[in-house]
Amino acid sequence: MNQVGSVGLIAALAFAIYGVVAGAVAGKLRSPRVLKSAQRAVLGFFVMITLAVFSLEYLILTDNFHSAYVASHSSRALPLIYKIPVLWAGQEGSLLFWTWLLSIYAGLAVWLNRRKNRQLVPYVISICMGVATFFSLITFLVANPFTQLSLVSATGTTPFTPTDGNGLNPALQFHSMIIHPPMLYLGYVGFAVPFAFAMSALMTRQLGDNWIRVTRRWTMVPWMFLGTGIVLGGQWAYHVLGWGGYWAWDPVENASLLPWLAGTAFLHSVMMQEKRGMMKVWNMVLIILTFFLSIFGTFLTRSGIISSVHAFAKSDIGPYFTVFLAIIAAFSLTVLFLRLDFLKSENRLDSVVSRESGFLFNNWVLLAAVLAVLWGTIFPIISKAVENQTVTVGPPFFNRVMIPIGLLLLFLTGVGPLLAWRKTSFQSIKRNFTVPLIFAAVVGAFLFWAGVHHLYTWMSLFLCTFVFASILGEFYKGARTRMKISKENFFAAVYNLTMRNTRRYGGYIVHLGIVLLFVGFAGQAFRFETQKLMGPGDLLQAKDYLIRCDRLTGGENSNYTYEAAVLAVTKDGHALGEMRPQRRLYLASQQPLSRIALRSTLAEDLYVVLAGRDPDSGKVLIHVIINPLVQWVWIGGMVVLLGTLLALVPSRVERQMEEIRKTEEEAVEANHVL
Amino acid sequence: MVLGIAILLVIGMAVYVATPLLSPESPGEGALPIDVTPLTDLKRRRMVVYENLQDLEFEYKAGKVSREDYEALRENHLGEAAQLMLAAQEQEEVTENDVIIERQVATRRAQRKLQPHDSYTCPECGFENPLPVKFCGNCGTKLPQHASKK
Repeated sequence: MNQVGSVGLIAALAFAIYGVVAGAVAGKLRSPRVLKSAQRAVLGFFVMITLAVFSLEYLILTDNFHSAYVASHSSRALPLIYKIPVLWAGQEGSLLFWTWLLSIYAGLAVWLNRRKNRQLVPYVISICMGVATFFSLITFLVANPFTQLSLVSATGTTPFTPTDGNGLNPALQFHSMIIHPPMLYLGYVGFAVPFAFAMSALMTRQLGDNWIRVTRRWTMVPWMFLGTGIVLGGQWAYHVLGWGGYWAWDPVENASLLPWLAGTAFLHSVMMQEKRGMMKVWNMVLIILTFFLSIFGTFLTRSGIISSVHAFAKSDIGPYFTVFLAIIAAFSLTVLFLRLDFLKSENRLDSVVSRESGFLFNNWVLLAAVLAVLWGTIFPIISKAVENQTVTVGPPFFNRVMIPIGLLLLFLTGVGPLLAWRKTSFQSIKRNFTVPLIFAAVVGAFLFWAGVHHLYTWMSLFLCTFVFASILGEFYKGARTRMKISKENFFAAVYNLTMRNTRRYGGYIVHLGIVLLFVGFAGQAFRFETQKLMGPGDLLQAKDYLIRCDRLTGGENSNYTYEAAVLAVTKDGHALGEMRPQRRLYLASQQPLSRIALRSTLAEDLYVVLAGRDPDSGKVLIHVIINPLVQWVWIGGMVVLLGTLLALVPSRVERQMEEIRKTEEEAVEANHVL
Repeated sequence: MVLGIAILLVIGMAVYVATPLLSPESPGEGALPIDVTPLTDLKRRRMVVYENLQDLEFEYKAGKVSREDYEALRENHLGEAAQLMLAAQEQEEVTENDVIIERQVATRRAQRKLQPHDSYTCPECGFENPLPVKFCGNCGTKLPQHASKK
């Protein structure tokens, strides 16, 4: 199977290289038959990479430890459910997986555009296959998952098959870990498609807003996956790492946040081009930046250039990625520069107080966020280069910079939708802002009275209320108007309002999700921690909770041994049941890991960790964290996901436009035939 | 065994990719069709303005936009739509002329195909008359009448 995988990889590389050339030739000659061949090359690439992926998965599932990759990332005792994700647990496998996802995206892009955008598609193929060439090349040459173990001795090399593998990193043996990496990768990889369309539009000089409309969904889907992946990653960190938080500004976390922020800016600023024909160069810059950052993110995650809690193996793929990033930057900026004349704005900014300027500010702030996170993330590299010592920038820097930026963004989330396009007079502002502001002021005063005196926390909750009220107001006003015009009942009105413009109202729901996320973030200000060595019968008071240790137990299975504390929890005298935090020792890797016990409500989480055992007294160290409002982070993430899905549904307006486009296309084709 | 199947798969895929290149360009297919002509682009932009206008109308009715803003913006949008409509009309005239010319070219091409090539090449001066004619357009020599009406 190792050989089959290698055959798949080599053939995939060949198809990718052919795809680059055939795509470019088809674009240049505008030849349908060369295009057809290029399209088939994309399919060939997909089939071959799939062959390689299935070969590797087969090696993993059949415990073939002759394969170096399987031996170092899997073991016999590993449960089946955790054997599947071994595919992306290591460097080599995850690069192969990345390439496979790219082949799926490229294949879909080609297939869905087989009857439209036939001028753009050749170069789209060329660029996607260019990226594919790079990834299959490093997977084949530098990080090949199909190398076999062998013993080197004086007499020569002999094949070697160990009896068992090293096992999967225990921290990765967690349910959201099965889905978290694929989500992130689907995000990272997916930005290749809108980037390819943008480059193709530049190369073919088709620089109206066609490429923007074509790529809107191609951008939203990876953006959605990336966001979901980030939230799932936070959930994993919260449940597995045992320090009671979900975000630590770790370089790898930042790496995923960067393209997400740039993608957010892009999704907002494309509306300016669609509605007003403005920001054409800017949109190009943003999509280039987003794609660049997603490759950069993969590079940071995979190269081990910056040390991180994710502790992925250091490797020598760094220089290859550096060259590839340089090629992307040089190529895209050159093409953009050559086409600057075609990207003149059709309109000017009419007024500072308008939806346009709201979008503009939003873009600036998001870009400031990108720069701040980027600076903090690569600071260790810069400091090493300049002063020859590695200085790491920790959470204090990020919190100091990012909290104000985040609050500003939250503010714009509320203000933007209330401003009209072109210009908004003071009267209109008064109409739209009065109610949400009064509502927020009342809640703000109540919060202050209730003891929320921390400035950022108070501001965050105040702004959350303001944005929440303004979004509800949008739905309410829209529904009321529909009720008046079409005599619908309230629910029908809300439904029709949303379905008429799914993009706008889906967007509002995404904003609502962001509000909930901020509510969750604000809860961190009220976090409470305590710890104690506990044996049977010992008590621990944590705010309103009383925790009693009933007994200490232990056990083992084929994968790990564990010790656990059985704790009885009461709150204000009411029994809440048992909690059993565990500490496991995984046998194959000999790595310890805490399994937390968690009791969640919408108001707060009771988070209990068995941090270790005191060898003298035999007692265990119980660490208790009370984390208010954490659940709202996960709920907010879900709402963002739902809002994005809603925005992906074609709206009625869009369907009308599509019909017009189709009839016109038919007319054009009829002319063509004449 | 499995390796053999994999290699066969690779070969099959390579043949599948190469086939379109080997087949001759089918006569019905010209170059790749243009997706966005200037005319469709103008029409679509006009649609966007109408959509903006509808939104504005709705926002005014919902009480989001004051009367002055509404009137000024409406005026603005209508002006923009009118401009786009004018541009589209100009473009349409160009396109109509193009269609007429293209149609004539096509008929002439068809006629050309029906007639042997040398039928309107002047035997005297060798001038290639672009159309089937009785007399040479260059020297005026009477051309032999071939079976053009067959």
